[in-house]
Amino acid sequence: MAVKQGVQLAVISLLASVAIAQTSAAQVPGVTADTIRIGSFGALTGPGYLYGKLPMNGIEAVFDEVNAAGGVNGRKLQLVREDDRCDPAAAIGAVKKLISEDNVFALIGGGCSNATFAARDALDEAKIPLVVMASVHDGITTPVSPTIFSAALTSTIESEAQLLYAISQKAKRIAVISMRDAWGRARYTPLMEAFKKRGITPVADEEMAPDANDATAQVLRLKAANADAVLIVLYPKPAAIFMRDAQKLGYKPLAIGQTGIADPAAFEEQVGSPGATALFRTISMVRYTPEDPAMDKWRKAIETKFSGDRLSVFNLFGIGSAQVMVEALKRAGRDLTREKLVAALNHLTNFPTDVYGAGITCTETDHRCNKAPVWIAKEPGKPVRVLEVTKVE
Amino acid sequence: MILLTYLLLSGLTTGSLYALIALGIVVVNKSTGVINFAHGELFMFSGLLAWTLHVQLGVSYLPSLAIAVVLGFALGVATNLIAFRPIKNADVVSLVLATIGLAFVVRGAARVIWGGKGDYLSFPPITSPDPISFGEIMVIPQQIAVLAGAIVIMLVFAAFFRLTRAGKMMQAAADNAKASKLVGIRVDRIYMLSFGTGAAIAAAAAVLMAPLTLLYPDMGFSFFIKGFAAAVLGGLTSLPGAVLGGFCIGVIEALAGGYINSSFMEVSAFIVIMFVLVVRPTGLLGLKGMRRI
Amino acid sequence: MTLFGRRNVLMVLALTAAIAPSFVNDYYLFVANTILIYVLLSIGLNILLGYTGQLAFANAAMFGIGAYATGLLQVRVGWPFWLAFPSGALIATAVGLAISLPALRLRGLYLAVSTLAFAQFTQWVFLNWESVTYGAGGFKTPPISFAPLPVSKQAGLYYLTLILVVVLYVLAQNAVRSRIGRAFIAVRDSEIAAQSLGVDLLRYKALAFGISGFYAGVAGGLYSALLNFVSPEGYDLFQMVLQKAMVVVGGLGSIVGSLLGAGAIITALEALRTVKGLQEIAFGAILLGFILFMPNGIIGALKAKVRGWEEPVHRSRRRNSPPGPAAVTTPRSEVRP
Repeated sequence: MAVKQGVQLAVISLLASVAIAQTSAAQVPGVTADTIRIGSFGALTGPGYLYGKLPMNGIEAVFDEVNAAGGVNGRKLQLVREDDRCDPAAAIGAVKKLISEDNVFALIGGGCSNATFAARDALDEAKIPLVVMASVHDGITTPVSPTIFSAALTSTIESEAQLLYAISQKAKRIAVISMRDAWGRARYTPLMEAFKKRGITPVADEEMAPDANDATAQVLRLKAANADAVLIVLYPKPAAIFMRDAQKLGYKPLAIGQTGIADPAAFEEQVGSPGATALFRTISMVRYTPEDPAMDKWRKAIETKFSGDRLSVFNLFGIGSAQVMVEALKRAGRDLTREKLVAALNHLTNFPTDVYGAGITCTETDHRCNKAPVWIAKEPGKPVRVLEVTKVE
Repeated sequence: MILLTYLLLSGLTTGSLYALIALGIVVVNKSTGVINFAHGELFMFSGLLAWTLHVQLGVSYLPSLAIAVVLGFALGVATNLIAFRPIKNADVVSLVLATIGLAFVVRGAARVIWGGKGDYLSFPPITSPDPISFGEIMVIPQQIAVLAGAIVIMLVFAAFFRLTRAGKMMQAAADNAKASKLVGIRVDRIYMLSFGTGAAIAAAAAVLMAPLTLLYPDMGFSFFIKGFAAAVLGGLTSLPGAVLGGFCIGVIEALAGGYINSSFMEVSAFIVIMFVLVVRPTGLLGLKGMRRI
Repeated sequence: MTLFGRRNVLMVLALTAAIAPSFVNDYYLFVANTILIYVLLSIGLNILLGYTGQLAFANAAMFGIGAYATGLLQVRVGWPFWLAFPSGALIATAVGLAISLPALRLRGLYLAVSTLAFAQFTQWVFLNWESVTYGAGGFKTPPISFAPLPVSKQAGLYYLTLILVVVLYVLAQNAVRSRIGRAFIAVRDSEIAAQSLGVDLLRYKALAFGISGFYAGVAGGLYSALLNFVSPEGYDLFQMVLQKAMVVVGGLGSIVGSLLGAGAIITALEALRTVKGLQEIAFGAILLGFILFMPNGIIGALKAKVRGWEEPVHRSRRRNSPPGPAAVTTPRSEVRP
């Protein structure tokens, strides 16, 4: 009998402990009387750090500003960073840790496309709100996940914009040069679909490796195809090599970049060949380049907090997405829950940030909240200028 | 014909970059029998040091190059002291992994120091950036500078091994470590010298090609892989072999890109290596029939 | 058998692993499952590297082939996981056997580069054979279900992995203590001596490559199910470094060492999350530190300090028999010229 009683006692205490665990879980995770814990995941190490660590620095700059002004509805913001090394498995690990271990309230994150895409299941399962800062993979926001919102231009929007721009500039023979890693592929595929939709065939379709040091072969092939506009789906390094070799071989097409090359002033230096970037146009996810006087405030914030750093566009990605999150947190009110945050995000209409091309608008059915590619260019010897802000539907 | 000329020319330029990396790898391997997997990182780090000197501090080009080479040599010596000397009798896997461990540390340090300064750091070219023409062929002067610089570096080192005492001792230690010890060569010092020399070549290479390749913390590994492949293709212990291997890989990549498809560029060299090694298991200029038992 | 001997410690580890899902959260279960998958990988690699002495760099590629084959057979052909998974493992095994053919002619660093070239080629195929592999973007695999068993997907996959680890661990442990294991060691220590003892080099090298391919293939299939996603990133050279680090940190030429090495490295990687932004430096330093200060790995230190961790290469009939012949158990460095 004693044994039986012991077992009963054990079962009861177990049930009790489960019940206690559940009541504590019913409290809002990551929110205390005076703090809100926000998580971020992305590459802190490895080549993807540009899209991870640097935006996170931007987020922190925004949090510092908000906290100095008293926080959001009386609560200070804390940022918890986790590394995903750009690796899908590490991203799932990072997201699970942020949710189950660090108990964060919501997330601003996502650097590498594949890593974030792979983590989507874990995010959906936990129903944790996420504002995507840099990943562009369409699968992250399409089909719509109830709690994932993207402040980054998604790849379809960008690719679409690239092609439309070429057509608007009266290009007749459009070619593509792309990287086929995860980043490039996330853009290349929708770009090809955009071509198909309009019944256009690219006159040449070339490839370059992210670490390539020569593009003579590619340039010669594009030249042979007589392309008058080249859509560039490359990182700045291969793109610079391509532009340099194009200049060398006297090939001068309209060169159309995307957000990977978002700083035409730095790009001109990287190409290092005078006049080579004269016909170069690119999309920026943000309205300003780091040198713009409008960015003085953030340049000071970043360069004071992270001494030795220079403000970069990657920092701006973080600043924009953090401002979106902060606004939604404000609107969700003092009595904070994840549901209220999601509702607030869903009702953002034309919310102006310091950096994006246009206001941020999210709806229940479309969580691609940033649809305003900013076209910028830098003629040799002149400052960077904004050509136009387009809108893609 | 113009296409072929262009492809060969660009292949040779890229090949000279690979050859310089391969040369450093071979110098270390020749005397120690080890592959320094941190070689690419030493290359990257020296290049970034030169960037800081030249671009940030305004030191002019040649002194920057000289200082970078000296610092590179010091980095190589440090690599020897940290990741080779204490375990030089260990299994080859452990030796390889020790240098890989060091590579992570160096790359991480570079990211902390230079990672926040922009995506790809540009290094102003020493020559005029405008292309010049040879008949119908257009060339970027910096590419000629790299090619010429590479050849100069190769000749300097060939002379070093042939003509200097240190060079001859390195050769001797490579041929037979035990016998060298018997005739009074301090083998440990030779190993240190080899690591230093290998890294100094890497540093010179980095400064030379920085205007063409741009500088970033993750550049080391892709160069290392190509250089390693070139070294193996040439036979791992042969200095002319390393140079030949580097040019071969550069040219193969350019031809594959120009005549087949640009998507084949990256993989073409590796496919060739798989086949070459099956036919000639010790590379093109490797010693035939010599096996370490 | 002493209290902290190998058998007792492994028993406790296995029991802990068996009850773990009932008291850890989602994150720790994921990490535990990852560790188990890496145990398989490092056992397979250790047989090739530590026992047979083949400096090959293709294990990450075979891991990837296992994952891709398992995933693609489900997505493209529509096979259920239970059929795709073993088929994926067999495909990886076949690839392992195939690359052993050139390996017969190559050794040391030349073998390293040719297998490295193979690994790069595999990556390229994953990236470029888009009509089959979906290219760099990767693809989602259907979530597996353990119905009618009353377990969640996470716990079910965890137990499946655990069972496979136990079975394959015991198999490997038995294999290396048999004739086969002794032949592997003979090949490692001197191919010429091995041949003169009548060891068929081709057969045993192929066997070692095949076994490591099989273990990597099984691990790949499980990994694809764990992540529900397959893409080229997971199977690159960093993956190879990770596996090599596990084998060396655990101890070359020790099956139980692989288990400890995998646990140590994955735990270290997760623990290093606390040093934000400095992970790669810390990881490199730890790796370097292990090699410098624990040259024979964790298992070497255990053997020296704790009784009951010896690994004879013969199955001893009597409990207190002395360990096997010294010549075979000495570390490799001492028999090199």
